[in-house]
Amino acid sequence: MKKIHIIGIIIVAVAIGVIMSTLADAATYAQFSVVDNHPGKEFQVVGKLAENSEITYDPKVNVDLFTFNMVDNEGIEKKVYFHGAKPQDFERSEQVVVTGKMEEGQFHADKILMKCPSKYNNGNTEGFTEIEANT
Amino acid sequence: MEISYVGENLISGQLGNLFIILSFVCSGLAAFAYFKSIHSPELESASWKKMARTFFYIHVGSIVGMVSILFYLLFNHHFEYYYVWRHSSTDLAMRYIFSCFWEGQEGSFMLWSLWHGVLGIILLNTSKKWEAGTMTVLSAVQLLLGSMLLGVYVFDIQIGSNPFILLREHPDMLNLPFVQNPEYLNFVEGTGLNPLLQNYWMTIHPPIVFLGFALTLIPFTFAITSLYIKDYTSWLKPALPWTFFGIAVLGLGVLMGGAWAYEALSFGGFWAWDPVENSSLVPWLILVGAGHLMLINKVKPNSMFSTYLFSVLSFLLVMYSSYLTKSGILGETSVHSFADGLPGQLIFILLFLVIGAFTLLAMRFKKLPKQQKEEELWSREFWMFLGALVLLISCFQITFSTSIPVINAIFGTEMAPPTNANEHYNSWQLPLATLVAIFIGIGHYLKYKKTDSKKFFKDTAVSAILSLVITIAVATSLQFQHYYHGLLMFAATYAVVANADYWFRILKGSIKKSGAAIAHIGFGLLLIGALISAGNKEIISRNNSGIEIKMNENENANKENIMLIKGDTVLMGNHFISYEGREKEGHNIYYKVNYYQIDDNGKYERQFQLRPFVQLNEQMGNVPEPATKHFWSRDIFTHVTYADLDDPALDDPNAYEEADTSLVKIGDTLFATNSIIVVKEVIKDIDLAANNLQPDDIAVGLRLEAMNVKGQTFDASPTLVIRQNRLFSIPSEVDPLGLKFNFKKINPETGEFTILKQEKTSNASDFIIMQAIVFPYINILWIGCIIMTLGSIIAVINRVRFPKLRS
Repeated sequence: MKKIHIIGIIIVAVAIGVIMSTLADAATYAQFSVVDNHPGKEFQVVGKLAENSEITYDPKVNVDLFTFNMVDNEGIEKKVYFHGAKPQDFERSEQVVVTGKMEEGQFHADKILMKCPSKYNNGNTEGFTEIEANT
Repeated sequence: MEISYVGENLISGQLGNLFIILSFVCSGLAAFAYFKSIHSPELESASWKKMARTFFYIHVGSIVGMVSILFYLLFNHHFEYYYVWRHSSTDLAMRYIFSCFWEGQEGSFMLWSLWHGVLGIILLNTSKKWEAGTMTVLSAVQLLLGSMLLGVYVFDIQIGSNPFILLREHPDMLNLPFVQNPEYLNFVEGTGLNPLLQNYWMTIHPPIVFLGFALTLIPFTFAITSLYIKDYTSWLKPALPWTFFGIAVLGLGVLMGGAWAYEALSFGGFWAWDPVENSSLVPWLILVGAGHLMLINKVKPNSMFSTYLFSVLSFLLVMYSSYLTKSGILGETSVHSFADGLPGQLIFILLFLVIGAFTLLAMRFKKLPKQQKEEELWSREFWMFLGALVLLISCFQITFSTSIPVINAIFGTEMAPPTNANEHYNSWQLPLATLVAIFIGIGHYLKYKKTDSKKFFKDTAVSAILSLVITIAVATSLQFQHYYHGLLMFAATYAVVANADYWFRILKGSIKKSGAAIAHIGFGLLLIGALISAGNKEIISRNNSGIEIKMNENENANKENIMLIKGDTVLMGNHFISYEGREKEGHNIYYKVNYYQIDDNGKYERQFQLRPFVQLNEQMGNVPEPATKHFWSRDIFTHVTYADLDDPALDDPNAYEEADTSLVKIGDTLFATNSIIVVKEVIKDIDLAANNLQPDDIAVGLRLEAMNVKGQTFDASPTLVIRQNRLFSIPSEVDPLGLKFNFKKINPETGEFTILKQEKTSNASDFIIMQAIVFPYINILWIGCIIMTLGSIIAVINRVRFPKLRS
């Protein structure tokens, strides 16, 4: 067997590994109805801030806890516990994408992507703002 | 009825459109004439070529024309043009006008075309027998890019987006009332530039990246031409300097993007594996592979297929990247993505180029020079070839993961990008970078064809041992957390040491010949800097008070932000920090954060002040921007994660809250937000004249002592005055603490005093939530980047000026 064949086999193997690992690491977009049934599994939920949502952030009590109510695309509302500081301008967001999981009946998020309407409509390059919790 | 609008400058736009059409038509004519010259007999070929050159010069002249007009319109705030309205505003500082130019898709296509044009002019004057072929391809690509600026409709399909469209004629505006107002220009104001782009890096970074992108086109044109005319090897020599110049420029551009992200964005780092970052890194990695394959195949054309593959792939990946970032497909996955775009047209251009290039490569595959004999294990070409394959795998991994939204679009899947992008990408890229660094280290000691393995081990052993010692020293002193960090550290150190050794021992320190060695040293340093600064970054704003505050029972609760109330001093890492207050300057609110250390006498000594800020932007949302203190061995990055921007105290920092009334005796204590106040004594001998009182007034003062958290004390002496039968008081303010006292009454029977205490509104509300991160040795990264660029440029100059020196 020539060296080039060995190399070829290794490359194909690694390429398959790359594909598998991406598929394994990729998160899933889901609705709260699905998230509810899979506690402990991480999902990304697309939705928006609920109307009249109570938005609480009291840094004097806990600088790293921010909660709000979010409605997913199926219309299900859920309280989201985000473990990080409240993103600037959060009230203005039109769409939010949260990454997190169900734990003990509560949805805990460690990442928020938010899209502000004016930013979006003006079509500027920075449509989204990404806020990560501290891990 | 026709409305005659007042104050519009229409002639500029008409001229601009003329240039767009002229440039589009001339690139097509140039491509056609160059193509004809390939196939024509000698005499006719020369006249076709002459004609093609003329068209190409007109084409480039037209691009310069349209660029100048767009700048003119931006400079003079001609908001009657949609592009000017959307990307700039009157109050924008002039130094950001360049950023406005390339913020939008049309402007960035113009910039890109301009660079292609400039490179084309150099190419047509230097490439001699390759001119006709390469310029055919280049002009054809210009035709495709030029179509992105047309803004015409063919059977209801929009072709291109025109930068000179009028505001009132833009589809989004047609039904708005201002369109009916002939004097609309009197009140129209631009929407302004995205605040994140209002940064000096954004003036310099895009032109460099686009020059780098443009340079990937040159190896593409050479490769396509050589396949077309079936001359498979002689293109390598003229294509090489272009390729390495591209490596230098694009590498610099990518790192500048990192520098911008580090300084202006607040994710805390220079690299986040964001799709936009990835899609400029990948063409660079492929271009590096292409350059190195060209080097070995110039000596012996053993792996020509790979050389062709890499040479065309780099440019195709640039096109793919512009599709990803400009079509809007990244949508929810990127902080950088454009929201609008012409996905259909971009897909068409991309597919046209990909299918065209690969069909040609497939047609010629059988005729490519074949490998005569299998490569020796101990040969430079074998290991360089392997290195290129590692780069290819690395690019495949990055591209595949970045393309998740594309995969979703094609297969209808619902995958989201990996939640922890850093972990996902690093798990592949770290080992691959380790391999590449090892190859870089051994490369120069391997000879073409066959190497004496004994000599090889002797030559490299010292570097390897030295690198091992350095790695162990660094890993133990910095306490590396993972063994693979140690492996990469060793590999990267080895790349630096072995190349330095080669430079000084073998090349005797000659600068002229050692471009490659210098560039490799730079790359090794870059890896070391990236590894240490990212792997050992320390979030020093962790809650270290030891008090767990929990709102609910959850282990998730992170403690990486710190709250600072104005005047507080808090221990954070090795520093004491305090928040001095905020200042509004223009659109920015600056938060002054002081870093102290305790000196030998136990006193706080201020070391430096950082001023992270929030840019207020009604249009696009408020944007926080971090501030970083640079030391040679580390950076302290400080970022306001939350601040109350609606606080009324922001507009009137001197307003007081309502007063608190207290009954106190001597020795009693009062509490304020930022201090403890002790009632010290009664002051009886008040100098009436000095206080502007009348001689027969009776005045009694009360001495109060306020002590802040740092232990500093401040005196206050509010005074009660009895004038005839009236009582009034002279208030006393403690400015540094934002306190005001009034002495209202004395009760002689109980010995009690009535005091009013007032605090400034800002005392209670002025606080910030911030995060601070230490990045150790990040300067090694930047130094490595500069050295790598310099090394590549030395290599290019050397190749162009002394072509015979290397064979």
